Amino acid sequence: MTASVISAGSVPRSGRAAQGAIELRRVSKRYGDVVAVDELDLTVQPGEFVTLLGPSGSGKTTTMMMVAGFEEHTAGSVLIDGSPVDTLPPRERNLGVVFQNYALFPHMSALENVEFALRMRKVPGPERRQRASEALDRVGLGKMGDRKPRQLSGGQQQRVALARALVFKPAALLLDEPMAALDKRLREQMQEEIKTLQKSLGISVLFVTHDQDEAMAMSDRIVVMRDGKIVQSGPPEEVYNHPETDWVASFLGDTNLIPCTIVERDGEEAVVDLGGLGLAKVRDRGASGENYAVSIRPEHLKFRTRTSAGNGCAATLLSSTNLGATVRHRLMAGGHELQLRELSSDRGAGIVPDEELWVGWDADKAQLLVLES
Amino acid sequence: MSNATLAGPRPRGRDSPPSADSTPRRRRSGWWLLLAPILAFDVVLFLTPLGKLVGASFADNAYQRVLEDPLVLRALVNTLTISLVSTIVTVVLGYVIAMVLWRAGNVTRVILFAVVLLPFWTGILVKNFAWAVLLQDNGLVNAFLQGIGLTDAPIPLLHNRFAVIVGMVHCLLPYAVFPIFSSLTSIDDRLGLAARSLGAREGSVFRRITLPLSLPGISAAGLLVFIISTGFFITPVVMGGPGDMMIANQIDYYARQLTDFSGAAALAVILTVMVSILVAVYQRVLKAGGQHEDN
Repeated sequence: MTASVISAGSVPRSGRAAQGAIELRRVSKRYGDVVAVDELDLTVQPGEFVTLLGPSGSGKTTTMMMVAGFEEHTAGSVLIDGSPVDTLPPRERNLGVVFQNYALFPHMSALENVEFALRMRKVPGPERRQRASEALDRVGLGKMGDRKPRQLSGGQQQRVALARALVFKPAALLLDEPMAALDKRLREQMQEEIKTLQKSLGISVLFVTHDQDEAMAMSDRIVVMRDGKIVQSGPPEEVYNHPETDWVASFLGDTNLIPCTIVERDGEEAVVDLGGLGLAKVRDRGASGENYAVSIRPEHLKFRTRTSAGNGCAATLLSSTNLGATVRHRLMAGGHELQLRELSSDRGAGIVPDEELWVGWDADKAQLLVLES
Repeated sequence: MSNATLAGPRPRGRDSPPSADSTPRRRRSGWWLLLAPILAFDVVLFLTPLGKLVGASFADNAYQRVLEDPLVLRALVNTLTISLVSTIVTVVLGYVIAMVLWRAGNVTRVILFAVVLLPFWTGILVKNFAWAVLLQDNGLVNAFLQGIGLTDAPIPLLHNRFAVIVGMVHCLLPYAVFPIFSSLTSIDDRLGLAARSLGAREGSVFRRITLPLSLPGISAAGLLVFIISTGFFITPVVMGGPGDMMIANQIDYYARQLTDFSGAAALAVILTVMVSILVAVYQRVLKAGGQHEDN
């Protein structure tokens, strides 16, 4: 048992790129009658950065805790690198975990925190200190090793937590809302640093967050969760631009939802009747339900002239709000209130004075989706 | 100059490390007036009698007299050893109970709390006599031991040092359980999870995380229990033998049997000074231990 931990801990770096596949097969978690996670299927490929994105109560943290081994699943199977780990305690799963508030050991210095995993693996003193300070160097804290966690800032504490989770060369890294406690600027900086670190190590990451910007910025793949189920998964741009339901569309940012009826569906494209906005060609992912709507992101609506090609409609301007980098316009068009967002530097581009105001969008930016609510 | 601008907390970036100079300094006169009631109370009801006691202890060569009394020296040694053993046993047992309380579910926790608190609310005489009944030669414990054939004759469990320590530990337990329990509950549960994810077994989690982080509770419990132990008076009388008398019994003897009040006062001062020295040493040692932990 100990032997396997030691060998896993001392796998050379070059051998790691092939490791780190996490697979969940129909994994469920029930608390009595409550289903927290419902028959979840999920795969993290070696080296992939996968984000579980969802509101609180969607089961994303429970899912991560089951992978880490802190929560027992009530059905299904968790596999790491192809072998089931369902009966393994957390210490034998060889996964680096970074917790929401870092969970640094307050009575140990930064270096001792990082050394902990190596100490548990009985790595001899000099090598242990050497490897721990290398790990601290890697996160830019080489000189802070003597400090106690309370003497470090939030960002530094997070770096220590990262170094601690990486020092024993785990198969994969699990991050549970690691940036929730940081302010916006630092959060963006840490997002980039974590991403860079992840790429340079080639390590797989399972990341849990409720922050859609964070998910967009960091992920190779976003898995949107709701009520213990996956509602959509795919690369960030795809999930953002082509949501399958109105819930996903609104959860991942602002959008205009225009109820519609389908006139014709043909593979990737569909023709829909948008009521007052007329007929329009939109993207179709083949989702089926009772009611449909078209989602157009505010930044994909443009001011245009009546003669422009593509979809469009006459509109009246209700209000404009300057948000700094962007300007948000509220418009009335075809009986619908729409939001249009443009860069402040391009404000009013496309508006022709003394002519009727006209808004339009490109067919591939309008997504047909199922209206759930 | 108005110092209104200084009074507000200085805005601090969330990412800046805490700095020592960030607390605004307030200079207001008259703050001590707030202390006046408690000061007056203390002076009248505590410091004045204490002063009188110390004064009385210097009369009639009291110190020389009591220190030449072999019974007093015996009682001093008894007090220290019984208190020390009781403290160690109480803190160890208290730690176990606190751990169980900490890990228990809500219902179990309420029941256990009641069990721990019950002796707290029961008079010391009641507790001691209850133990006397249990431990006497034809008591429950001896009957049980003979019943299962472990012993043929009753073994002496009462009127000896063992009995004194049992009685004291029973009274002292709540004083150890609560400080330790509160220091355990202040430990973030995720520290244990983090340690496990880093490869720690349950034993290592306890030794390297739980135990060091509950040290403040242990030291508070140890201090409290030891100080209370040194003043035990009824338990040695009810449960101890003639050789188990403690210093409080000697003070009682001097005051009531010999009506030697200066001798009793001198004994009280000796006890207070001795305990104070021990407490000072104890805190020194703890502080030093805290700085060198885990090296």
